[in-house]
Amino acid sequence: MLTGAALCPATPLLHPAVTGRAAVVPELRAACARAVTQLLTGEPDTVVVIGPAAATGQWDPFGRLDPSVFAPGLPATGHRSLPPALGLGALLLDQAGYAGRRRLQAVGHDEPVSACVRLGRRLSETGTRSALLVMGDGSARRTLKAPGYLDERASAFDAEVERAVRAGDLGALQRLDQRLAHDLMATGRAAWQVLSGAWPGQGNDAEVLYCDAPFGVGYLVAYLRPSAASTPHR
Amino acid sequence: MSAAAPGGSRELRHPGVLRLGRREFPAGQLVVMAIVNRTPDSFYRPGVTWDPAAALERVHEAVAEGADIVDVGGVPARPGDEVDAKEEIRRTIPFIAAVREAYPELIISVDTWRHEVGREACAVGADLLNDTWGGWDSRLVEVAAQAGIGVVCSHAGRLPPRTRPYRVSYDDVVSDVLNVTLSLASRAIAVGVEPDRILIDPAHDFGKNTWHSLEITRRLGELVATGWPVLVSVSNKDFVGETLDVPVDDRLAGTLATTAVCAWLGARVFRAHHVRETRHVLSTISVIRGDVPPARVVRGLA
Repeated sequence: MLTGAALCPATPLLHPAVTGRAAVVPELRAACARAVTQLLTGEPDTVVVIGPAAATGQWDPFGRLDPSVFAPGLPATGHRSLPPALGLGALLLDQAGYAGRRRLQAVGHDEPVSACVRLGRRLSETGTRSALLVMGDGSARRTLKAPGYLDERASAFDAEVERAVRAGDLGALQRLDQRLAHDLMATGRAAWQVLSGAWPGQGNDAEVLYCDAPFGVGYLVAYLRPSAASTPHR
Repeated sequence: MSAAAPGGSRELRHPGVLRLGRREFPAGQLVVMAIVNRTPDSFYRPGVTWDPAAALERVHEAVAEGADIVDVGGVPARPGDEVDAKEEIRRTIPFIAAVREAYPELIISVDTWRHEVGREACAVGADLLNDTWGGWDSRLVEVAAQAGIGVVCSHAGRLPPRTRPYRVSYDDVVSDVLNVTLSLASRAIAVGVEPDRILIDPAHDFGKNTWHSLEITRRLGELVATGWPVLVSVSNKDFVGETLDVPVDDRLAGTLATTAVCAWLGARVFRAHHVRETRHVLSTISVIRGDVPPARVVRGLA
């Protein structure tokens, strides 16, 4: 069964070593820390980190992000780095002091909705008490200064994600258009659809802890717990 | 290693902390020494800090811009009207006392070759004697030892104070710089100066033509390899001017380029007119070297 889900962006800015001497976005880091802390209060047996990557697959649960892939000059870990989204999820768990079981699940950027939903369903049917830490970003085309420049459709796309999460209406995430998400550089799409497959119910208790695009990329931090009325997969 | 070449007694060191006043500067930290001249006729912006109020204002500005040390001088390096010890004291000592009162923690250096001036400066709180003329007055370093303060050991090509180089030649200028500065450092230790309070300075332009100053810049690593903290004083100097064929008011870029090279090669203290620009150059070098992380990084990482 699922004990809860946390949504965090997969921005390298969460890593304290890569932003130099400034925290850059301390409020975002604090929101992620809070979401993960709340996730762990559900006392899961396993935390499943779901993050977009080149291909679908599982990664070594003891793996970590090597920050020197972003910041050469920093000391390298000496081990192969996890894909950034999973590595940042692992970092958030480390920062929260979580030492329990983890599963690091990559979902391919180009995985169609149906495959994402199927993967999510499988993750929810493992029989253990699982918490999901879903690492994903909204559009990287929110503003003129955004990494992908401005696309007028970006704000509406991110707003729909925010609406669905705020309403605890995770089933709606299955309707996100894969092609549009690709055009908008919204790399969270596949991970969110895995979440939706794992937990398609409506009316969950949701708390949005951060929702902004300070550098033109949509960042959403939220925590969801099953409410009495909801029907998460068991 | 060239630093171990023959020629007088030599003290090599492991690069370590530099102690000045009550402050400690670890090996990776790059330090700015701001020039404050109490002279009416210095080569760069003559007389700009001749007025005591203007000079103190200059100190405020330098501190605000990131200077860790101020270097107070009362006699121009170039030949000119006689400035005797009494006049040098009159120019510098009340001013040093005023700076000390305004800034209890600021490192105050005194640019002098005279032990009489050094002694008066110690009495009003100086932390460092910048003996630019390379031990001309052998008692100066004894004053530093007695006061428990630091000293800069410079290579002035054995020229008397306030003289210009005239057809100077060296078999190897770097070797001579090493011989002189390390001998001076050994003597400083022998008379009781704390080793952690000793710097060496190749003294660009002093007893050197432009070729010589360029060579000591190029080979500064050989001085750094001695382990002594190296001070460089290149700001607006003639070798920069001759390198570019530009007058004294157009030497900032050349000065900063030279500063960057010296920092990259391991110099630790930088005597400068332009504190803010020098600070920025040194911060950039520290970050490129990886000694300090960049201030704030977002580009490409959002």
